[in-house]
Amino acid sequence: MMSFYFSRLVEIYPFFFTGLWMTCKIAFISLFTCTILGFVLGIFRAGDNKILKFIIGIYVAFVRGTPFVVQIFIIFFILPEWGIQLDAFPAALLAMAIMGSAFICEIVAGGINAVPKGQWEAAVSSGLSFVQQLRLVIVPQSMRVILPPLVGQYVLLIKDTSVVSVIGVMELTRVGWVTVVRIPEGLMVFSLVGILYFSISYPLILLSNYLEQRMAVK
Amino acid sequence: MLTDFNFRIIMEYLPLFLGGLKATFFISGVSILLALATGIIACSARISSIKALKYPAIAYIEIIRSTPLLVQIYFLYFGLPTLGLRIPELQTGILALTLNSGAYIAEIIRAGINAVEPGQLEAGVASGLSYLQRMRFIILPQALGVTVPPLLGQAIVLVKDSALLSLISVAELTRAGQIMTSERFMPSEAFFTVAFFYMCIYFVLKALADWSQKRLIFREAY
Amino acid sequence: MIEFKDVNKWYGKLHVLNDINLKIEKGEVLVICGPSGSGKSTLIRCINRLEKIQKGEITVNETPVHTRTTNLTKLRAQVGFVFQQFHLYPHMTVLQNIMLAPVNVKHMVKGKAEEIAREKLVQVGMPEKSGAYPAQLSGGQQQRVAIARGLAMSPEIMLFDEPTSALDPEMIGEVLDVMVNLVSEGMTMCVVTHEMGFAKKVADRVLFMDEGKIIETGTPGQFFDNPQTERAADFISKILTH
Repeated sequence: MMSFYFSRLVEIYPFFFTGLWMTCKIAFISLFTCTILGFVLGIFRAGDNKILKFIIGIYVAFVRGTPFVVQIFIIFFILPEWGIQLDAFPAALLAMAIMGSAFICEIVAGGINAVPKGQWEAAVSSGLSFVQQLRLVIVPQSMRVILPPLVGQYVLLIKDTSVVSVIGVMELTRVGWVTVVRIPEGLMVFSLVGILYFSISYPLILLSNYLEQRMAVK
Repeated sequence: MLTDFNFRIIMEYLPLFLGGLKATFFISGVSILLALATGIIACSARISSIKALKYPAIAYIEIIRSTPLLVQIYFLYFGLPTLGLRIPELQTGILALTLNSGAYIAEIIRAGINAVEPGQLEAGVASGLSYLQRMRFIILPQALGVTVPPLLGQAIVLVKDSALLSLISVAELTRAGQIMTSERFMPSEAFFTVAFFYMCIYFVLKALADWSQKRLIFREAY
Repeated sequence: MIEFKDVNKWYGKLHVLNDINLKIEKGEVLVICGPSGSGKSTLIRCINRLEKIQKGEITVNETPVHTRTTNLTKLRAQVGFVFQQFHLYPHMTVLQNIMLAPVNVKHMVKGKAEEIAREKLVQVGMPEKSGAYPAQLSGGQQQRVAIARGLAMSPEIMLFDEPTSALDPEMIGEVLDVMVNLVSEGMTMCVVTHEMGFAKKVADRVLFMDEGKIIETGTPGQFFDNPQTERAADFISKILTH
């Protein structure tokens, strides 16, 4: 019986690679959007404008305080009620963008706040504009504190793409879920899914560990 | 939009939500305790010098960290029956959460132990303290300060992770929202209520985590 | 060149600057001294608006500093500042540290900025260190680079906030030497310091502050040999016997 299923699994393995490809697409786009949004939000979050900090704080609290699957349901089921009809794939990207940028925002704000105040003063005293201060003096120094947790967050985001399977996006986890109905060998199917996720996550985890060590020594 | 928000419906479904909330508490509570035990065992294996303990522990931790929780849940849910083990969804879910958080807790504890300066241990050895005494008086009190806040953080993560159990039909808070949506076609009322409950849990746990961070940092200062 | 008119500043309830009235002329070297917490650092930090004032007016070259329409970029290009903790940018080489402001604030061409930077490095006595990073330099060397960084913008005024207080004793001399040379070139300088030898040698005027007020002012000769107030006399005796 098992060998029968195993041979069927071997037949259908290209299906898994399309799922993996979809996962990579979602992950890649999300990493890009979350990083940009996260940096912008993080810079304001570390800034002086108290109202802005408060608003961003509420947004971050909502994202961190609710499960991602609930956020996805809200975006997919509730937005149509307000007139915004989204297909599953764009809805998934939107949900990832909202969730990921909140976490990256906190990491970036933490990094900027870690730069000694004296660096700001030295930059200010030379007459540099605010944007110049950030670009030339503050952000380069904050990267040391930001990079390791940022890469760690990327790993988390890749794993979180699995949750978008609930709204029907045919990424790797959904491929497994759909497959296991016709090939009821749960262990085999999801081991394969797991191995494929492992192959894209583990290198990033190693990178994150390496960065953590390198940044600490300096 | 808010004028159409049907609070009456929410009141009607309140027992369902409260039941789901209770279930979420139960699932999270049991899982975090079991995960703590798992984490302590896995960590001990991880830092031991016996290869037969160390390498399986490393494999366990790295596999858990590199694969999504949902995949782990499906792995157990669809996989265990093929081994002849027919376990109800609730227990399967708790098992998945336990194994998942256990790996992360093992790493948190390991970081806490590493945070204690080796010089302290040397002083302990020099005074003639035994291994257990050094653990008890030197390492564990100091590791605690570094460990408790991230552990509370992991508890917060676990509560949110428990929402995924709704996808294997476990009757908890998120599932309550799904049920109400499918019965009444009112996703706004359903999921905003669900979100509200999760936010309440989050703020309580976060306050606890922040308080513990302040209190324990003070303890480290001496 | 710099003028303080009835300047007052509070940190919450603490009155850190109390009715400060002061004029600093072009080419003058002013040394400000006093016990900790006297407000001397705060005073010079108000000149380039690192700190804000609540009452009164400060003008630099007749231009008010603390109004909403003040052109801060222009102001800070005219006023160089040297910090007690140097605050060199750790991720840049010495040369890059010095060139940063001229290139980005004055929009100077890189070639010209580099020329000027090297000139200033020679002026502070460290031409060979242009490619080094701050972490590779001693405290005294870092502070000299910080002075070069301030000079690169060709300011009309140089402010020093306890420039040698964070240095080991054997390095204080090299920094003070650079500052003495600056004086001989006619730079307007305002220096907060405990180095009384420096004050006696080059200061045109000494200002003594305590509890936010200017207690006494005079030439070094007048101040050190013949202090008018008891607090000043007390301070001088404490400073000179350690």
